[in-house]
Amino acid sequence: MLLRASGEQMAEAIDFGAVMNSDRRIGIRWGTALNALVEALLSGDAAALRRCCEESEVEMGAEAVRDALVVAAAFNGITRVADATGIPLDEPTVTATKGLRAEIGIDRFDYAAKSDRYA
Amino acid sequence: MAIDYAGARYAPRGELIEAHDDAFRQIGQAGTWWTGSERRAMVHEARNALGCALCRRRADALSPNDIEGEHDAVTTLPRAAIDVIHRIVTDPGRLTRAWFEHIRSKGLEATHYVELVSVVATSVIIDTLHRALDVEVPALPVAIAGEPSRVRQEDLIDEGAWVPISRRSDASPTATGLPADPNIRRAMSMVASAPALFFRAFMPHYRLRGLDFAISQGQAEFVASRVSALNQCFY
Repeated sequence: MLLRASGEQMAEAIDFGAVMNSDRRIGIRWGTALNALVEALLSGDAAALRRCCEESEVEMGAEAVRDALVVAAAFNGITRVADATGIPLDEPTVTATKGLRAEIGIDRFDYAAKSDRYA
Repeated sequence: MAIDYAGARYAPRGELIEAHDDAFRQIGQAGTWWTGSERRAMVHEARNALGCALCRRRADALSPNDIEGEHDAVTTLPRAAIDVIHRIVTDPGRLTRAWFEHIRSKGLEATHYVELVSVVATSVIIDTLHRALDVEVPALPVAIAGEPSRVRQEDLIDEGAWVPISRRSDASPTATGLPADPNIRRAMSMVASAPALFFRAFMPHYRLRGLDFAISQGQAEFVASRVSALNQCFY
C-alpha cells in the first residue's frame, strides 16, 4: 500500500476505496483510464485491451499508456511471488497501513483469512 | 536476442528488453534444483495452464479445493509441480498454507518449490508484457545442458512465511519506509538464484522512489494496487 505514501504527497483528495472498488474514483490524474487499462489487461481479452489502449492514448499519450502497462505486468508477477510464499508484510507497512487496510477491505486477502475461507 | 519486442504496440525501454532477454535465457539454464529442460518446461506448462479445463472449473468454484481432477498437462514435470504451476498462473489469490503443505506432502521439496515459483513468476511478467504490448509471446527458452548447483542456503529462519527465508541484517526503515531488504525480496531467499532471476526481470518495471516514467509515482502505485486487488493479493 505504497499508494498511501504517494497519496499523502498529492494535493488532490484520494479515495483509497477505489483500489478495491472500481465503481469509485481514485482522484488522481488519469485514474479512470489507468484502472481501465489494468482491468483490460488482466481480463485476458486482447481485443478489449487494444480498444482500451486506443482510448487511453488520447487522454494520456502513448508513453504513459506503455508505462502503466509496464508497471501492471510487473505486479502481475510479483503478486504471485507473495501469494505463493505467504510472505508477511514488513512491520513498517503493517503499522503505517493498518487503518487503511481495514477501511478499504484488503484485509480479507490476508493469508490466514484465505486459509480459513478456502480450506 | 530471444526477446526483442519487435512489432510491439509501444516499444519498451532498452534496459527492460535487455533484462527480459537475459532473464529468459537464464530460465533455460540449470538452476539450483532444476535442470534447464525442466525450467523450460515450467514456462511451457505456465502458458498451457491458461487453457486448462480443470483450472477453469476451479475458478468457478467457491473454493478451488472442492474440485478434484487432472490438469491438462503438456509436460512430464512431476504432478505436484504441474499443480503448483497451474494454480500460480490461474488462481494465485486462493493459494493457502494448507494447499502448500499438501503439495509438500506429495514430495515437492520447499527448495524446488521456491525455484519453481521464481521461474513461473518471471515468465508471467515477461508474457504479460508481451500480451500488454500486443505482440506474440517469445518462443520457449532454449534449454542448456547442465546440472543444478544444489547449493543450499544457510541460516534460514521462520518469519511466518510458508517457506524459510534469510535473516535480515537491518530491519530499520530506509527512505522508502521499508527495510533495505523488504520481505518480498526475502520471500524466495531460500534459493539464492530464485530472487536473482525474478528481480532481473522485475527491476526495470518499477521503483519505490524516483520512478522516471511518463506516469507519476502515485499513478504507478495505483496501477500496482489495482493489480494486487484484482489478483486478490494481500501483500
